[in-house]
Amino acid sequence: MTSKTIIASLAVLLGVAGQSFAADMVFTSWGGTTQDVQKAAWADKFTAKEGIKVLQDGPTDYGKIKAMVEANGVNWDVVDVEGDYAIQAGSQGLLEKLDFSVIDKSSLDPRFVTDYSVGSFYYSFVIGCNKDATTACPKSWADLFDTKKFPGKRTFYKWSAPGVIEAALLADGVAADKLYPLDLDRAFKKLDTIKADIIWWSGGAQSQQLLASAEAPFGSFWNGRLTALSATGVNVETSWAQNITAADALVVPKGTKNKEAAMKFIAFATSAQGQADMAAGTGYAPVNVKSPALMDPAIAKTLPDQQTASQINADMAYWAKNRDAIGERWYAWQSK
Amino acid sequence: MAMVSLAKPDNEKRNARRRPVLSRDFVSILPALLLVLVFFVAPVLALLSRSVTEPVFGLQNYIALLGSSTYLKIFFNTFFVSVLVTVISLVIGFPVAWTLAIMPQRWAMVVFAIVLLSMWTNLLARTYAWMVLLQRTGVINKTLMGMGVIDQPLTMVNNLIGVTIGMTYIMLPFIVIPLYGVIRKIDPAILQAAALCGATRFQSLRLVLLPLAAPGMIAGALMVFVMSLGYFVTPSLLGGTANMMLAELIAQFVQSLVNWGMGGAAALVLLVVTLSLYALQLRLFGLAGGERT
Repeated sequence: MTSKTIIASLAVLLGVAGQSFAADMVFTSWGGTTQDVQKAAWADKFTAKEGIKVLQDGPTDYGKIKAMVEANGVNWDVVDVEGDYAIQAGSQGLLEKLDFSVIDKSSLDPRFVTDYSVGSFYYSFVIGCNKDATTACPKSWADLFDTKKFPGKRTFYKWSAPGVIEAALLADGVAADKLYPLDLDRAFKKLDTIKADIIWWSGGAQSQQLLASAEAPFGSFWNGRLTALSATGVNVETSWAQNITAADALVVPKGTKNKEAAMKFIAFATSAQGQADMAAGTGYAPVNVKSPALMDPAIAKTLPDQQTASQINADMAYWAKNRDAIGERWYAWQSK
Repeated sequence: MAMVSLAKPDNEKRNARRRPVLSRDFVSILPALLLVLVFFVAPVLALLSRSVTEPVFGLQNYIALLGSSTYLKIFFNTFFVSVLVTVISLVIGFPVAWTLAIMPQRWAMVVFAIVLLSMWTNLLARTYAWMVLLQRTGVINKTLMGMGVIDQPLTMVNNLIGVTIGMTYIMLPFIVIPLYGVIRKIDPAILQAAALCGATRFQSLRLVLLPLAAPGMIAGALMVFVMSLGYFVTPSLLGGTANMMLAELIAQFVQSLVNWGMGGAAALVLLVVTLSLYALQLRLFGLAGGERT
């Protein structure tokens, strides 16, 4: 009786644990409309071509990646992460080296390639404005930080990541080529001046909701979310002045059992066609330089890679090195 | 075994009957116990142990946590919000429980169903609903401005007001249910007796009803307080960054900053406080909580 029960309960436990081995490979990203496109543009077509089933999981969680690698129980095979995290995690030994005999990096934008990661897509932080909710739209970061000229709530990305600190420094008059190393004291001082008027968005869907409802009639957004919002009929104005680019990256956690499939998947996702489909679906820019030629010119025109005139690249290497220190200071400042 | 053989025959029979029953009881909780051990106790202990081993062995994480005004403010926020939510839940929940107890049974069932229904609705959906109601361009502000009551929208989300409203609403059933159990067992004749003895309505409330309902109130209040201490979703969606609570801090350490030493330290502080309060509850009321009178 007793031993039977123990065996039965163990079997239940193993049954639960065993389910994760049924899939061929697992792709993890941030959810929402972006992952929907990643599934349609990459996973479904990859399965059709290679016969490897791709399960979707999410959202990306750096704590989980670390836990899986340490416990040697990795069941995320390819993960979409932030570019600065990819560099940091690579140096901490949490990632597999990518196999560039499978992944063709010759046509990938070198800004987004490291030993451990390649770009997933790249995006810009731009200034978005709901034209129906305000008489005048801020055109520059300085405008967005000017509560006299543009009174009201404004929304910014909540988490410690490239984007907001750079915007604060640019608004305070720091020259684009003098941004790094970031003058944190100066940035937080500038941010203090608008802190009471900031509503933080923690995810893309929330940023769209804030802008569409005019809870915050303007703010800093991922460009793709504005494209999507304007397609739903919201009267959105996008200002690309000093748009700040950052990229997501595809990585493979160390110790995955599906390394070969993972490399093939990344090769497919970063191919000219994979990147073109992804860009067309999300409004983010492709990391493959051959992709724009494959795209509808009308769509290609709206992407961040057409806005290089006043574009500023967030320094991912700087962020990777200082990510923890900036993070601690950022959250301490936010909670004050 | 020796005891059994010394015992009288009929006693032996009784023991023989009882023993398998006892071990079967134990066996039947074994799957649950295993599940809790493997999926809860072990990972929690692993995280907690990191608080004294990462980055090096020692108490550095606790010193950093308790020595920083930022983190102390988060502890304060957590307790402040929890106390506030508990008090407001009691003030709103008592009349509800009382009304439920004296209502005709059929109507009480309907009201009870409404209370439970809100509890069974998805937590995220309920929290987002509050967001839609409370935001600057939300239903409440639009109505009030349309009626001319206010000319500037009230700020009711991303601050203390939002957290308090959202959490009080979610916690109410946890106060109403134990209170209802206690109040229903109070003999209405006692209140009649109080009235006959010349007590005013306020006097019978203060001197008769409240003392009799106290066990239910304290049990419910403790439960709400303890649950509030570790609450995550509602504060993170309806609160601002300035009202950050402990559970959010732990999530931030574990997920974003990947600093598990600090995360473990913060989790241990929360766990110790929660378990102490639970121990207090057990001591005061036993396992049954408010159900006992």
